[in-house]
Parts: sequence; C-alpha cells; structure tokens
Amino acid sequence: MTDKDLKYPPLNDRELRLLLDAAQQAAPEIEAAFLKRLQNQALEAVPRKAQLEFTTEKLSLFRRLFDVFTQPGGWLTGAGLAMAMFFGILVGLNPPDAVLDVTTIYFQTESLSDFVGLSDEMELYWENT
Amino acid sequence: MPTFDENQNKWDAELLARFSNGDRDAAMALTSRLAPIVFSQAFRMLGDRSEAEDVTQESLVRLWKAAPDWKANRAKITTWLYRVTLNLCIDRLRKSNRNSGEVQQEVVDGTPSAERNLQTTERLQALQHALQTLPGRQKQAVILRHIEGLSNAEIADIFGISVAAVESLVSRGKRALAITLAPQRKALGLEDD
Repeated sequence: MTDKDLKYPPLNDRELRLLLDAAQQAAPEIEAAFLKRLQNQALEAVPRKAQLEFTTEKLSLFRRLFDVFTQPGGWLTGAGLAMAMFFGILVGLNPPDAVLDVTTIYFQTESLSDFVGLSDEMELYWENT
Repeated sequence: MPTFDENQNKWDAELLARFSNGDRDAAMALTSRLAPIVFSQAFRMLGDRSEAEDVTQESLVRLWKAAPDWKANRAKITTWLYRVTLNLCIDRLRKSNRNSGEVQQEVVDGTPSAERNLQTTERLQALQHALQTLPGRQKQAVILRHIEGLSNAEIADIFGISVAAVESLVSRGKRALAITLAPQRKALGLEDD
C-alpha cells in the first residue's frame, strides 16, 4: 500500500516525533506510597543470614562492648562481669587452702599433681609467698 | 573512559552484590532507582496504573530472588529487568486480551497553559490508543526505542533478536502509527506546530 492509496497522508517524521517526545517527557510517576511499599518488600527480601553477618562484620569489638554498656542497666551488668572476672583470675592464681582441700577430697587425690598425672618429682607446691 | 551508562551499570551491580550480602541501604537505593524505570515501562505497555504496579512488584521480587546468584558478567541489570517486565506485560496482555480493549489514560500536568496542557493530554491519549493497535512486538519496540530511549542494541538484547530486526520492527511500528494517527492530525494540533 502506497501513501497515495490512503485517505489521509501519514504523519511525517516531525509530526510523529512531536507525539513521541511528548510521551517521553510525560513519564508516568510512581506513587510515593507504592514506592514505600516496594522498599519495605525489598528490606524483607534482604537475605537474613547475610544480613546478620553483615551487621556483625561491621561492628568492632569495642563497638559491641560499648553497645552492651549503653543498654539500660548495662553499666551495672558490665561492672559485675568485670568484678567476677577479676576475682576469678585472683582465685586461679592464688587459690585458698579450702579450695585445694575440697579439690583433693573430691577427686580422691592428695595433691593436684597426682590428679593431673605429674610425677612425684614434679609435685606442685602451694606456698604463701 | 567508561560512559555514564557503564558506570551506572557497575553501580547497580555493586548495589545488588551488597544487597545479597545483607546491606539494607543497598536494598533501599536499588528500589528507589529501579522501581520508577520498571513502572514506567509497565505502565506504557499496559496503560493501567494498577496492573503496572503489580508488574513492577513482581519484576522486583524476581530481581531479589536472582540477586544471590547474580554474576557480574551477566547482562545489565536494567536490561534484565526490561526483559522480565516485558514478559510479564505480554502475559497480562494475553490474559486480558487488552490489545483491543479500552486503555486508561494518565493525565500529565507539565505544560504552562491549560490549553497547551489539554493538547498534550490529547496527544498522549491518541498516541497511547494508536500504540495499542500495533502488533505486540512492534508496540514494544517503539516504546522501548522512542519513549524509554533505549538503543537498538539494548532492545535486540532484550528481545533476543538482531539489531537489524529491531530496526525493522521500529520502522514498521512508526509507519503504522503515522497511518493510524493521520486522521487526527488537525485535532491534535499538528498542523499548527
């Protein structure tokens, strides 16, 4: 079919361009509420496991400790933990006689060296220095 | 030097990788950037806001599912999304046989005077109606090339056909539009421009 067969001559390139340009400029806008819904769905779709790893990786040890201490009651908890750790180390380094007595009775040995299988020559001494 | 398009594609891929690694900010940024592109394409194909929203939602859900296995050397994310959106739109059009049906129109206010605004709206409506009369592939090719502004090579990639075939589709589509819209030349004020 040629243009001569048509009742109306087809739009020329310029005329068609005007229409297409108008359509290009009039981009349909996405509604804010719909975009928000899509964002929420995207957040739900973020892989959970990776999300946890990502969060953990991002936080330094100091930051994580800081977070613990800044929680409600965090300072009390932190101070309690620090004190328990201090006394734990103290008892480990210099155990009271009572602890040794209980240990040897419970494990039915006369000394810790017997219990851990050390020879008599390597017997451990607990002295108050 | 990489073009803006290449940089944008790299940035999209970077965001998608971060999304897969659990970065919530990347999820927000990707959605804000890609959703309007997908919605625009779907709306122009379907001519219906509600259906375009459904397609947008479905396209993005598919992207999130594909994200963990996404390979950097794969197709551009936007090209992949255009293809997914196109297929979803075709499915919907087939189901509703929308090609011959009525199309809702979007009134866009962006021109200085009311008269000008009315004329723009009429032109958009006429074009939208004319587009709906085109065969599926021609319509999609014209929309992607002349309204969405994609290159022939990108469209060829989306359709999985040669660039020459895209050029032919676009050319035939424009010719059909020019004939369909010809009787409305005067009503659309084209003689005065």
